[in-house]
Amino acid sequence: MFNLFLAVFPEIFIINATFILLIHGVVFSTSKKDDYPPLVSNVGWLGLLSVLITLLLLAAGAPLLTIAHLFWNNFFRRDNFTYFCQILLLLSTAGTISMCFDFFEKERFDAFEFIVLILLSTCSMLLMISAYDLIAMYLAIELQSLCFYVIAASKRKSEFSTEAGLKYLILGAFSSGILLFGCSMIYGSTGATHFDQLAKILTGYEITGARSSGIFMGILFIAVGFLFKITAVPFHMWAPDIYEGSPTPVTAFLSIAPKISIFANMLRVFIVASYGGTLQQIFFFCSIASMILGALAAMAQTKVKRLLAYSSIGHVGYICIGFSCGTIEGIQSLLIGIFIYALMTIDAFAIVLALRQTRVKYIADLGALAKTNPILAMTFSITMFSYAGIPPLAGFCSKFYLFFAALGCGAYFLALVGVVTSVIGCFYYIRLVKRMFFDRPRTWILYEPMDRDKSLLLAMTSSFIILFFLYPSSLFDLTHQMALSLYL
Amino acid sequence: MIISILGIRGILLNRRNILIMSMPIESMLLAVNLNFLVFSVSLDDMMGQSFASLVPTVAAAESAIGLAIFVITFRVRGTIAVKSINCIQG
Repeated sequence: MFNLFLAVFPEIFIINATFILLIHGVVFSTSKKDDYPPLVSNVGWLGLLSVLITLLLLAAGAPLLTIAHLFWNNFFRRDNFTYFCQILLLLSTAGTISMCFDFFEKERFDAFEFIVLILLSTCSMLLMISAYDLIAMYLAIELQSLCFYVIAASKRKSEFSTEAGLKYLILGAFSSGILLFGCSMIYGSTGATHFDQLAKILTGYEITGARSSGIFMGILFIAVGFLFKITAVPFHMWAPDIYEGSPTPVTAFLSIAPKISIFANMLRVFIVASYGGTLQQIFFFCSIASMILGALAAMAQTKVKRLLAYSSIGHVGYICIGFSCGTIEGIQSLLIGIFIYALMTIDAFAIVLALRQTRVKYIADLGALAKTNPILAMTFSITMFSYAGIPPLAGFCSKFYLFFAALGCGAYFLALVGVVTSVIGCFYYIRLVKRMFFDRPRTWILYEPMDRDKSLLLAMTSSFIILFFLYPSSLFDLTHQMALSLYL
Repeated sequence: MIISILGIRGILLNRRNILIMSMPIESMLLAVNLNFLVFSVSLDDMMGQSFASLVPTVAAAESAIGLAIFVITFRVRGTIAVKSINCIQG
């Protein structure tokens, strides 16, 4: 009986930690005796600790993968793929939480519920990655989205933040509705919601000619719902607004964690449950459009967070290249792309958070950063070069492998568009670097030095970005294992 | 199914205030729920009904959060007209 739960031990731990921290926060922050202390840093450190312990439980629990038979048949499946995806998710969540502490202090942000909601959404993302049934997938996606709607609107007195929360709510509710509609059509046409059963029913869907419009509509709507969630292009309506208006740590979370988990879930749905050429065209189109839009729209931006939003839309386009070719190499390149994207984005947002003291919003505020903070300027330029795909940094390796996979399966147009938009994208990344190094601003802005957590985080991620090319085979091996276990 | 399409149309064509925006969202979720129940009855399968008992939970939680966000938006701005939600441009 006990070993039924051993497999989901990390999730159980993090749910318990969430509730205990919530109760702890409520009890102590409303106690008159202690003069209503704002507990956000306290709960924040405890939250970070609980994420790290969950990571430890997950990493050390690898032998438990074989035990949980009951869960395999019902809602979750844990194998190598979910193992490494969950490790990546927990690592990036831990990194993003550690970026937030300085923000809480400087902005005098007292709501400890922020951390509790982040922990809850982390738990739901862990469930989402290992979900193996349409019901589990939908519930986990909804839980994660609901937590994020709230924290996107968490600065209650700011117009920007509430507007961002509102737009995110409407966008998210709409996309969940479409996703659910797709699930219901698939259920109605096949009578199955478990991915194994769907895989058996939907193999050879194109070839046998037993096509039913219900299945096609269902898969199409599920794809559209997912593409809304990862803000791919024809469906990216308010994503830059949301990214710009939310408080910066929330933007950091939004661009890293849901993307990892929703990509993992998409891989499960479209490779395991409904493999076939059904939707290759839509992913082709979305990735081409995302790359083009990400490159072109980012050129006209004057605000830093919006620029990062458009660059993440562009990067999602690159990662969807790996999706469009359904080969193992494609999946492997997608996973490498996600891994490197997560690290680069943590890096970029840590820098943006570090520059926040005087409210840098505009790119012009970064002028002459090289004279005031040379090391920060170097780190920022390394991150920007990595986004642009300049060798020998990590971003180049990920893009190279993505284009290589696309060429390998014959998607020549996709690779061509990818290379061209990559070059166009170089322009605005290098323009940022030029602003930092060679521009003379009208008023000199002095930035405070950043705190210990962010500097550690920046050191780790930028050293990974710089040194990745020396030993990439470990990551390649890892993602190859992940992709293989996805197909099994 | 037609109710879902009406819901989608309602979200996209809303011009008056954002409170109205929450109604089509709810109606979409409800319509999909109805879909599930109908399919479950016609396929004689239990999974549809178990799914259909979980979806309104989610819909209720989502509408609660939506209303909370509308309330704080109103507190900050003083109006809930859709036209005034354009602080973030570009």
